[in-house]
Amino acid sequence: MDGFLDLLTLPAVQRSAIGLLIAAVGLPIVGVFIIGLDIIAVRFAMMHVALLGIAVGLLIGVDPMLCGLLACAIAGAGVAPLAHRPTGLPGAMGLLMTFAIAAALLVLSVSGVNATGAFELLWGSILATRDVDLIILGALTVVVHVLFWRWRRQLALLLFDREIALCSGVAAGPLLLALLVVVAVAIGASIRLTGALLVDALTILPALGARNLGRSLRSMVLWAIALGVTGNSIGFVVALLLDQPPGPVLVLVAGTLTLLTYLIPEGARDAIDPGHRVDRGGDPVPAGQRL
Amino acid sequence: MTAAAITFSGVTCRYGRRTAVDGVDLDVAAGEHVALTGANGSGKTTLLRAALGLYPTTTGSITVGGRPAVTGAEWARRRRDVAWVPQRLAPGRFPLLVDELLDSGGNPVAARAAAAQLDVAGLGSRPLHTLSGGQLQRVFLARALGAVAAGARALFADEPTAALDFHGQEQVAALLAALPVTVVVVSHDRAMSRACDRVAEMAAGKLRLV
Repeated sequence: MDGFLDLLTLPAVQRSAIGLLIAAVGLPIVGVFIIGLDIIAVRFAMMHVALLGIAVGLLIGVDPMLCGLLACAIAGAGVAPLAHRPTGLPGAMGLLMTFAIAAALLVLSVSGVNATGAFELLWGSILATRDVDLIILGALTVVVHVLFWRWRRQLALLLFDREIALCSGVAAGPLLLALLVVVAVAIGASIRLTGALLVDALTILPALGARNLGRSLRSMVLWAIALGVTGNSIGFVVALLLDQPPGPVLVLVAGTLTLLTYLIPEGARDAIDPGHRVDRGGDPVPAGQRL
Repeated sequence: MTAAAITFSGVTCRYGRRTAVDGVDLDVAAGEHVALTGANGSGKTTLLRAALGLYPTTTGSITVGGRPAVTGAEWARRRRDVAWVPQRLAPGRFPLLVDELLDSGGNPVAARAAAAQLDVAGLGSRPLHTLSGGQLQRVFLARALGAVAAGARALFADEPTAALDFHGQEQVAALLAALPVTVVVVSHDRAMSRACDRVAEMAAGKLRLV
């Protein structure tokens, strides 16, 4: 226990703990968006798109990570029009993934840049979190929360059914565009900040668990944050106690929590849903007011 | 609330090389109730979706209250002007509460009153995917009635009684018949057709009056 307490006094460990806490409050909402848009492959797609951006950055001598995030934002916006095609966004993610990796390898080859060096820029570690990373994570978390809480009714309709959203006065196109850009940038930044493996534990796994427990978008988001905070806290403490790398331990804990949500019977979910009695999607829209 | 006249002029819609709606001309007077019948795949749903901008027209024009819709703002106005009961009553890919759907019509109070009238009161906090087909259909109808109360001047209903029992079919036919707005209803239900002022039939994308 003394060793554990000693570890907690280390600045690097403190920054990691703060980073995981911030990530647990913001990134699970991104995961809920990802599940809602059916783009679980977005992590792989954005990893390759970020690599393309990094390659271009190295080629033209501009900050590679900035170029990587910019490439993610452009890619997120670029796939929005494909959402209404028969193959939808999942198809677009597959296309993006293969296209981006091919383009990245070509750019790296043309520029003569070491491909391994470019890849290394993409692999972060939660234990290597810097102050600037915490600021980026914090800013991302604020943006994600503003997007969700400001437009949660519209988002609920959009993720439920785009045509119903359109016929309810929701600006479905711009909202989808904003959603995809935020998801793409959040994933791109998170891969750099926490490492690719942890992105799943911080985004997708809490959202998958929340999908099993939540009865509405709002309750899903609350569940996802609760699962994220719980998983990250337990995982980080266990990793420190066992003196093991936090990434795999965090993923295993988050995965176990997600698995447990599958074991809860359908009938029992009403009883444990924090929004069952009070969650009616927030206050009713006043009469005569369109969304 | 003023009912809106609806005009379809030479409307053609295509799915690839297949023509789903073929040069349809139809004038619906303000306040008139028209039943649209025809075999499955004859183009009825596509025609209504085209009027709402949910499917593109290849040629022709559709006006509601004399207004065409081309720009995004015009389509947004069109969708405020026309309440819609969709045919595809899938409970969606994502959880949505009944109350959230009812609120989206623009007048939650009226939508909840309509829900009570349609025997689906008290379901407000339930996710849509937990409802039966008939309950889902009634909830969508209540939402559309909320939209009418919020100012929509017409209502398009696409097979609004398909999942209902006989009592429900009569109930909905009577509700729609009493609406003071223009109504175009796609239906295979004879009670619904009888309750309308006029019946138009579609066959292979073309329209004929019955």
